[in-house]
Amino acid sequence: MTPALGRALILLSLLFSTVGATVAFASARRPTAAGLVWTRRFAYAFAAAMAAANAVMVYALLSHDFSVGYVAHVGSRAVPTWVSLVSLWSSLEGSILFWGLVMGAYIAAATYALRDEHPEYMPWATGVWLVCAAFFCFLMAGPAQPFTTVSPVPADGPGPNPLLQNHILMAIHPPFLYTGYVGMTIPFGLACAALLAGRLGHGFLRPLRTWLLVPWIFLTMAIVLGGWWAYEVLGWGGYWAWDPVENASLLPWLTATAALHSALLSERKGVLKGWTVTLVLASFLLTILGTFMTRSGVFNSVHSFTQSAIGPTILVFLAAATIFSVLLLALRIDRLAPEGRLESGPGRDAVFLLNNLVFVLFTFTVLIGTVFPLVVEAVKGAQMSVGRPYFDRMAVPLGAVLLFLMGVGPALPWGRATSEQVRSALLPPTGAALGLAVLGFVLGARSPWTLLTLCFGGYTAYVTFTEMWFPVRQRMKAGEGVGHAFVEAQLRRGRRRFGGYVVHAGATIAIVSIAVSSTMGVSKEVQLREGERFELGPYSLTFVKSESVAEPHRHALVARVSVSRNGRELGEMTPRMNQYDRQREPIGTPAVRTFLTEDLYLSVMNIDPPGGQLGLLAMINPMVGWIWIATGIMALGGVIALVPRRAAVALRSERLVVAPGAAAEGSR
Amino acid sequence: MNRKVLLAGLVVVLPLLAVLVMNLGRDPHTIRSPLVGQPAPPFELRPVGGGAAMSLASLRGKPVVVNFWATWCMPCLEEHAALAAGARRHGAAVQFLGVVYEDEETRVASFLKQRGAAYPSLMDDGGRTAIAYGVAGVPETYFIDASGTVVSKYDGPLSPDVLSSLLRKAGGAS
Repeated sequence: MTPALGRALILLSLLFSTVGATVAFASARRPTAAGLVWTRRFAYAFAAAMAAANAVMVYALLSHDFSVGYVAHVGSRAVPTWVSLVSLWSSLEGSILFWGLVMGAYIAAATYALRDEHPEYMPWATGVWLVCAAFFCFLMAGPAQPFTTVSPVPADGPGPNPLLQNHILMAIHPPFLYTGYVGMTIPFGLACAALLAGRLGHGFLRPLRTWLLVPWIFLTMAIVLGGWWAYEVLGWGGYWAWDPVENASLLPWLTATAALHSALLSERKGVLKGWTVTLVLASFLLTILGTFMTRSGVFNSVHSFTQSAIGPTILVFLAAATIFSVLLLALRIDRLAPEGRLESGPGRDAVFLLNNLVFVLFTFTVLIGTVFPLVVEAVKGAQMSVGRPYFDRMAVPLGAVLLFLMGVGPALPWGRATSEQVRSALLPPTGAALGLAVLGFVLGARSPWTLLTLCFGGYTAYVTFTEMWFPVRQRMKAGEGVGHAFVEAQLRRGRRRFGGYVVHAGATIAIVSIAVSSTMGVSKEVQLREGERFELGPYSLTFVKSESVAEPHRHALVARVSVSRNGRELGEMTPRMNQYDRQREPIGTPAVRTFLTEDLYLSVMNIDPPGGQLGLLAMINPMVGWIWIATGIMALGGVIALVPRRAAVALRSERLVVAPGAAAEGSR
Repeated sequence: MNRKVLLAGLVVVLPLLAVLVMNLGRDPHTIRSPLVGQPAPPFELRPVGGGAAMSLASLRGKPVVVNFWATWCMPCLEEHAALAAGARRHGAAVQFLGVVYEDEETRVASFLKQRGAAYPSLMDDGGRTAIAYGVAGVPETYFIDASGTVVSKYDGPLSPDVLSSLLRKAGGAS
């Protein structure tokens, strides 16, 4: 009964999306009022059917209905309710179903938000969204069916992958990632619409940027949540390993970040429209590439789903979407004529261009490193992997350059600057730059790249802060109080600008923290007997004893280590070694204690309870906690920049009425 | 039509797609072993619990599945059901063999008594056979065809699907 209902809902979603796409394209070619209305109705109907299918699955998971194939595959009566709930995305078929839910939500939200606007673009955009939706419905109806019927009905199931139950971040990270990935469909549809309609007007760049920013926020958080999970769970003390699937999530983030910047330039100056559209298309295609990498079984990774039959289907979709995009660009890019002129010579325009160039270079660097092993395997038949050294060597300079550009760009005026302007803009921040580098040196930084990053970080921090302060200061000069000036200038008027600088502030902290944490850590491997003590920096650690703990889905060996810092007792830390029933290698769960400037990180390497021996890896990881904080700041900045359109319209009209000409908004 | 854009797009996109297509169907767990395509190293080992020694040579003419395993290895226990089911189903046409890797005979015997032994497990005293096959960690499974040539090697726990597809490659299942 339940499987049949689920299948019916999926077929209904497939029907709504295909018919809806057909209606959309027809009404895009020959616009009628009825066509526009029905296009929107099909979009809503698709979203509703997908939501209903997900509700059926959640109900089946919570009620342990093992007649549903997916529930029999991942469900279990033994697991807590929250695990049953997150099982929705713990395995392949369910994750595609969840994907459909997110896609439905995005399509419905975008259709609703833009319902009364841009009739010349919207049917094209909705049509493209619904074609993408139809593809995922096809996956669920064919190669990755979640609602198969199981007969006879088993009494219980095996439960989801134990790693999913290991840490709460593993329950949060996938939905963020999907929301980031799936959301790229919306700007993709809008960009295709611009190409199909053969124009990209000033007014349409705003929704393009807004709907690019939404998935960008989720993707930013998802990437870092993934790193945080690895740090808290995997026990090697790091948060990023250049694993193919990690790279897969970084690639669309890089192009989307570039697109957000070039869209700003397009919106402001009417230039680089074709380039902006290309970056948006690429971001979407890279999310599909990422989906393929995670689900085809072709790449070896801790994150990948096991081998599945949907690899070829996704590849066909990827190939079709890619070739469609290239052809569409080739056919229509010349119609997106520039309305303005890009200034050559020193100035903010040039820095924007350079920023885009570096982001694209970064994208290709990561893409090549990720795909290279496949090339070697295909050509020479030998297995190999591209290791950290390649990625680190390439990413460190690129990251440093991006950090520097983030400081130089906003400091310079738009257009072309005179050498006098350049000097007066670029010289003041050098004091802050040298200051931070000297501070780093005093605190022990010796790696040239770290010192350089600190230098650039200080530079950019100074510029970012000055730029944030500028509109507030202007208002204060006019006699407003600081609180009032801040609210007016940053939160009511210049939200997009302010949000952008908040993102820059977060990114500066993140890059500096990454540089410091990856070069200034201290680590020590020790073999200890019960009662033995050792020192690491200001910490004194004593191995109290080890315990063996049996849990339903795993056995754990727990080491109890008492910790004191500069003589002050901090209590016990309990790193452990977990052996999951379904996992080949034991997994150590490290113990992490976070302080303001550093983490104390303890990870078990080996543990021998009868002999009372403990092999412990102890690390002091400076500033790692700041990476998580910085990401929160970046996400916050993104949210601030997402001014709801209606609020913006209201503000604009208010300004027209109340204070004509008092436009402190925008930049100097 | 902007030919430059078309050309640049295709130059970036087509090689990437080609590489992905060429690698489709690759399973990173199927490890290339230098033994693949070579005659399987011979062995003559005694079964767990006693009895006459079995030799690989005596099985010539029938595909053989050699599974290196141990009771201390969780994934080995996980794949046990799939292997046992495979042996029951294809036992007439394919010889399944377990080779015990670094484990005590009593523990293996009691495990097999509890979970059932669908095929013989052999004691590899001194680990000579494991060394000859280049076993790096258990479970590892070698598929040997009727002529005694290693056809494939699988690293990690076998699922029923992977097992049947590799059996087909060794000519041991319809």
